[in-house]
Amino acid sequence: MMKQLVGFLAVVAGALFAIPLQAQTPQYGGELVFTVPSEPPSYDGPREQTFGLIHPIAPHYNTLLRVDPTDPTGTKPIGDIAESWTESSDHLTFTFKLRRGVKFHDGDEMTSKDVKASYDKIIFPPEGVASVRKATYLVVKEVEAPDPYTIRFKLKWPSGAFLQSLASPWNFIYKADILAKDMHWYESHIMGTGPFTFVEHVKGSHWVGKKNPNYWDKGKPYLDGYRALFVRSHSAQVAAVRGERSLTQFRSFTPADKEALTNAMGDKIKFQESAWDCILLVAINHTKKPFDDKRVRRALSLALDRWSAAETLSKIAIVKDVAGIQVPGTPWATPPEELKKLTGYWPDIDKSRAEARRLLKEAGVPEGFTFTFYNRGTPMPYEPLAIWLIDQWRQVGLNVKQQVVEAAAYYGTVLRKPDAFDVAMDFQCGYIVEPDLDIYKFISHDKNDDNYGYYTDRVLDELYEKQSRATDAAERTRYLRQFERRLLDEEAHYLMTLQWHRIIPQNARVHGWQITPSHYLNNQLDTVWLSK
Amino acid sequence: MTHYILKRFLLMFPTLFGVAVLIFLLLRVVPGDIVEVRFMAQGQYSSEAVMAIERAKLGLDKPLWQQFTTWMWGLLHLDFGVSMWTGAPITEELKLRFELSLQLAIMATVVATLLAIPLGILAAVKQDTWIDYAVRVFSIAGLAMPSFWLGILMILAMLIIFKWLPPMVFTSFWVNPWENLAQLIWPALAVGYRYSAVATRMMRSAMLEVLREDYIRTARAKGLWLKLILSRHALKNAMLPVITVIGLEFAFLMGGLVVTEQVFSLNGLGMLFVEAISHRDYTLTQALVLIVASVFIFVNFATDIAYAWLDPRIRYR
Repeated sequence: MMKQLVGFLAVVAGALFAIPLQAQTPQYGGELVFTVPSEPPSYDGPREQTFGLIHPIAPHYNTLLRVDPTDPTGTKPIGDIAESWTESSDHLTFTFKLRRGVKFHDGDEMTSKDVKASYDKIIFPPEGVASVRKATYLVVKEVEAPDPYTIRFKLKWPSGAFLQSLASPWNFIYKADILAKDMHWYESHIMGTGPFTFVEHVKGSHWVGKKNPNYWDKGKPYLDGYRALFVRSHSAQVAAVRGERSLTQFRSFTPADKEALTNAMGDKIKFQESAWDCILLVAINHTKKPFDDKRVRRALSLALDRWSAAETLSKIAIVKDVAGIQVPGTPWATPPEELKKLTGYWPDIDKSRAEARRLLKEAGVPEGFTFTFYNRGTPMPYEPLAIWLIDQWRQVGLNVKQQVVEAAAYYGTVLRKPDAFDVAMDFQCGYIVEPDLDIYKFISHDKNDDNYGYYTDRVLDELYEKQSRATDAAERTRYLRQFERRLLDEEAHYLMTLQWHRIIPQNARVHGWQITPSHYLNNQLDTVWLSK
Repeated sequence: MTHYILKRFLLMFPTLFGVAVLIFLLLRVVPGDIVEVRFMAQGQYSSEAVMAIERAKLGLDKPLWQQFTTWMWGLLHLDFGVSMWTGAPITEELKLRFELSLQLAIMATVVATLLAIPLGILAAVKQDTWIDYAVRVFSIAGLAMPSFWLGILMILAMLIIFKWLPPMVFTSFWVNPWENLAQLIWPALAVGYRYSAVATRMMRSAMLEVLREDYIRTARAKGLWLKLILSRHALKNAMLPVITVIGLEFAFLMGGLVVTEQVFSLNGLGMLFVEAISHRDYTLTQALVLIVASVFIFVNFATDIAYAWLDPRIRYR
């Protein structure tokens, strides 16, 4: 009897352990179908800004480094075609050893010549070639290819962000011979070393890739192929997941979609969630009175009850966490307890609003002062956040009208025209969680066209430079905290609303994909597999 | 008749030229440009220098008259140019979408015509009976329900009841008719129903008017069969306004099904139109406006000829 019981328990235990093990063993085959709410304008990574390019095209390429696909913070660089690297003691030279046997889809071997040509196109583009990320690599003095399997970057000054910048998902490794013949060839063609080869792009409809049988990372990819469906309508994307015409979408769904899909599909659907490296900001035009007065700007921040908004707005919009200058939960982010000490982040909202009223009075702003808040004509999450902001400011005696401007005309008619607005919604989205990229926006306007507060703050500029050049993490953290305090508290140059929140739906058959805070990351699909 | 057709045909060209000038100028008046949309809409950093390179590449730094003459010169050679957004030839952008939109427009027109003409005649002949009331309710319901809303209901019904969703990728009818119809039949029904509602009401009122004419009374007095009166004497005359409605609706369907295309995730001209405008893709928008205008003008031309065929008085006027 005892033997039988032990045997039974052993079988049960074996079964219990076997289920997760079996579920975690990657299976080969299948086609991953996913929707993409946008479409690539061209096929050239270094030229474009939209995730509509990354989602269908990234699986065709490798980059020198990539962000670790298993890292939920999206901050840890690992080698992609770089096997290893060394950093000189003066932090001015980075030398990378490349993997051998990496082949382009046409069979030619990839060497350092290709890496150099790809990076030269980004950092030192010839005349007439647009490279939107050239500014990210101002630190680079030279790119060298001393032998076919070594690539070397020489820097002008030390940079704490350099490795992360090489993990940019945009920096596809192109073929040097093709670039030498035609710098624009990659705008309309695909030729990479990635896990999937190109099959077809039917404009406005879909993109198809199939497994690269000669992929250098033996055993990968697991999928036979993938199919990206370009679907603009959000309701159609949700219907596609529900009807199992699409297995996932890599940008985000809303909390309402999550609830509806869970109710309809039960255990056939699962979700991954993360803070999102995107945030709506309030740009306060410093060239306009009374917004040139920091007391008024601080009052605008003090009026906001961010902590309660985090609870309420997260139920209806793609926002959630209260944030400073870095994505909550990532290595450089300020912990909530410290954040609560900054202006506008105090947990006691009554005290905060009393201070806001006092500051407004002191600055000579009368009760019922009216101004217009300009907003971009994009419903989610601009609309709910604008309503929230206006309501919050009303509670400290300000009368705010909203003016919604069509999305395509917004920058040209509002943000880029300092005479056109007082206070306006602004937007920042990062392709990798890295302070250099995330806080560049806030340095003085004469150094950065994208600063729509139109202010000059040399202290902030200096702090930016210091944190960027700090190679010691603790030192960099210190500068970042100082930067944050000056930007959001002392000067209140810009206001943060709430961090966006990513909700990725996945059919229960989809495995091997880890969400990160950026919808530009982790799209090579080499680790993804489908259960039968 | 030949003189009439030739006159109507030649009138098409100045109309198209007027449309071309108008759309070229209107697009330049609308705020925002393609470079801003391309480099700034994603919330990432873009310098003025990069945007200047792109503007120069697209020819947006040239004076307006030069942009216009370049475009017109291309048009004279039947060259629409390339899309500013994708860099692909506009003919390539249009090819697939045109096939889908044309097929959908034809299918919706067939659905509408098959419903509208018999129902309109029936309602007129059986005026003020329960049949007339039923047809009127059916057609007013069609007018009241936007086709995209009906589309949403259809999709929800398919998802909830049959756990099935129509295919999301367009397959040409000539490649796989079943897959093609499985995708397009639903939007054709949704659009065709609304379309039929307009035509049914028009058919009914036109038929009622014709049935009160003296020559119909005379035909009845002669003892002709009702079927013969309707088909030979009444229908031809009552069809005139219905043909106008069907023609105009058909032209509208070629580029105006924006929301329905979104709901059913169709890769048609309507969606392309919206994207071209929201991207400020001048060349593509101009080409699309010209195509839709050409369809309207051609349909009007065909309607005029049909009028002349149906009513000899028109061709001799």
